[in-house]
Amino acid sequence: MFKPTLECLNADVTTWEIGPYYSALPGPMKLKLRLDGEIIISGQVETGFLHRGLEKAFELNSWNSSIIYADHLDSEGAVFGELAVCLAAEEIAGISPPPRAQAIRLILSELTRISCHLNYAVKIGRAVGSETFTHYVLRDREKLLDLFELLTGARFSLSFLRFGGVKADVTEGFIERVIETCDLLRVRLKEYNDLLTFNQVFLKRTSGVGQISKEQVMRWGITGPNARASGVSFDIRKTHPYSEFEKVDFHVPVSNSKGTHGGDAHDRFLIRLLEIEQSLEMLKVFADKIPSGPFLETKSGSDFKVPRGEGWIRIESSRGFLGCYLMSDGGLSPSRVQFRTPTSSNLLVIPEVVVGLKIEDLPLVLASLDLNIAEADR
Amino acid sequence: MNLESISTISWISLMQDQLGTSSWRIALFGLSLIYGLIILPTGAVMSYLERKLRADFHARIGPSRAGHAGIFQPLADTLKLLQKEKYSRSTWTEMLWIGFYTMAFYSIVAVMPLGSIALLVNTDMSAFLPFWAALVLAFGTMVFGLSQDSVPGWFGGVRVAAQALAGAFPAIVAILCVGLQAGGFSWSSMAAVQGASPFSWTVANPFELIAFFAFVGGGMILLGIPPLDTGLSMPDIHGGVISSLYGKRYSLFRFSRFYGFFLWSVIAVTMFLGAWILPFGLSEILRLQERFILLGSLELLWILLKTVLLMLVVSSVAQVVPRGRVDHVTDFSWKVLSPFSLLALIGYTVWIGLRTFL
Repeated sequence: MFKPTLECLNADVTTWEIGPYYSALPGPMKLKLRLDGEIIISGQVETGFLHRGLEKAFELNSWNSSIIYADHLDSEGAVFGELAVCLAAEEIAGISPPPRAQAIRLILSELTRISCHLNYAVKIGRAVGSETFTHYVLRDREKLLDLFELLTGARFSLSFLRFGGVKADVTEGFIERVIETCDLLRVRLKEYNDLLTFNQVFLKRTSGVGQISKEQVMRWGITGPNARASGVSFDIRKTHPYSEFEKVDFHVPVSNSKGTHGGDAHDRFLIRLLEIEQSLEMLKVFADKIPSGPFLETKSGSDFKVPRGEGWIRIESSRGFLGCYLMSDGGLSPSRVQFRTPTSSNLLVIPEVVVGLKIEDLPLVLASLDLNIAEADR
Repeated sequence: MNLESISTISWISLMQDQLGTSSWRIALFGLSLIYGLIILPTGAVMSYLERKLRADFHARIGPSRAGHAGIFQPLADTLKLLQKEKYSRSTWTEMLWIGFYTMAFYSIVAVMPLGSIALLVNTDMSAFLPFWAALVLAFGTMVFGLSQDSVPGWFGGVRVAAQALAGAFPAIVAILCVGLQAGGFSWSSMAAVQGASPFSWTVANPFELIAFFAFVGGGMILLGIPPLDTGLSMPDIHGGVISSLYGKRYSLFRFSRFYGFFLWSVIAVTMFLGAWILPFGLSEILRLQERFILLGSLELLWILLKTVLLMLVVSSVAQVVPRGRVDHVTDFSWKVLSPFSLLALIGYTVWIGLRTFL
């Protein structure tokens, strides 16, 4: 029997294919939308346009080069990729970085988390057309990039971590600048809240928009701030501590919004601001108590080898659970590297979360999911 | 203040007496003067001030290269935009759109109240004519959006139309409110009931104050002035009509939007903020001395100053408020501005009734 399609029955339904290269998308990806007027009735995501064979590249290059390649997993949060690879290799080789190196790594990773969350706030600001807020946040993020530059000599793609420690000791005045920046950002957070977070127009734009339920979080393996915004208290730093996070006393902010607005775009924005606050606290404590001693256990030359074995490491990146599986056959390069990236899970929820949205909210919801296509496509 | 003392003296008849030439030539000359010497320079000044203001909000420097402190930036931008686009054959829909825009432009100039001397049209229905212009402008934008043959264009076009309808209602009720006070809808009668002091402006009355906010808010929605410009937003995934504009078309569009904003602000100043009445009784003194050119020039400068200030206040608000969604904007108009404008109208009517009978 002839079964007419929805398009045949309903003349209002249109199809709109966006991408793969489109300014409003978070990266090269394709969105196939079906619209009933301005309402999205279904959406499909296609990715893979930014596949660079990154994991394969690890296998073709030396162990030291793998740190540089790990940078390119996520250019915004380069340290997280580096840290995952270093920890996995150290697990196989049984290397234990000195306490000072652990502290530097922790400081760097929390600074990166703040930087990534600020970048997230910029994306949200742009999605709702709040240019002033965007500039405020970008101005403050510059201060963090200055800190990266002061410590590592680079603002992005730091390439600073090494197997068994870090590339160099903290530069003169770095710790003072970290404390200064933390104090400044604490003030700025209040300004952000005044300017945007609790602005009525912003609340109206974001409340109840792009909701992700706890069930969806569990079903699609969503982690990080997106999961915590939906009320799921899961943070690798607490559940599987690494780099001496077990010695740090911190709490994990979790959204307690319930009912019609739980796990919406506003929760995801707010949770990141809370995480910035929490990271600032941690930084302040760590910057004051940075232990003395060496920053690198042994310098690894071009002939550096990791003994045969395999390692599985999970860390909490700014987007969530970043896993790294590393295999070594004892040669000059890794024999297999595979990442588990948080964006891969976040992408899976898009077809569900866009249904019922107004098309005008789509950029906001995509921004609120904090997608990084580079780490998903690899 | 008596009505006769500030009644308008048509600049056409003044010049006709002095030059002895036909009125249509003088009108054409006057229109060109208004365009060339008032609207274009004000557009450039406003564009510069707005960019500097925005830069201040963003903690940036803003325009700084073209001329001293970047003062020639608007000129540089216009020249750049005009050179950007190669000649291409226009479609009939684009021509239709340009036609609507042109109509809106001329009508705007014709009804613009720029002082008691520089009034071209001062009929009993003058205050309603800008609505026609603004609606034509919105209609032109809608046609343009629909002619783009793209999903963002269609959305943008329909949204502009929805906003225009939603914004027009509270604004027109606000005009009725002012008309009640002035006893008519001509610019001169609206100016006549006001004085130079802010306490004698129309807006000093609480009901008129509500009407003022309804008028400005309604106008912002009707004309798509930021942050209520969702139908015109730049990122095309939002569905804005200007996402595919560039070069000459973009400069024409920007210019028309400035016109709309400027017109609305001039009218708001005329109706609510003391019109062109000069402080210290200068209007009456100069009129008695029959120094009409000086009077016209000072009135023009005074009303332009107030207009630019109002526009800057609106622009400042736009810098700190995120852009609303189109249904939020229309809801705001229908559910907030419209009831408040009706409240102002009813309240003022009762106020007049009580004043008359008690």
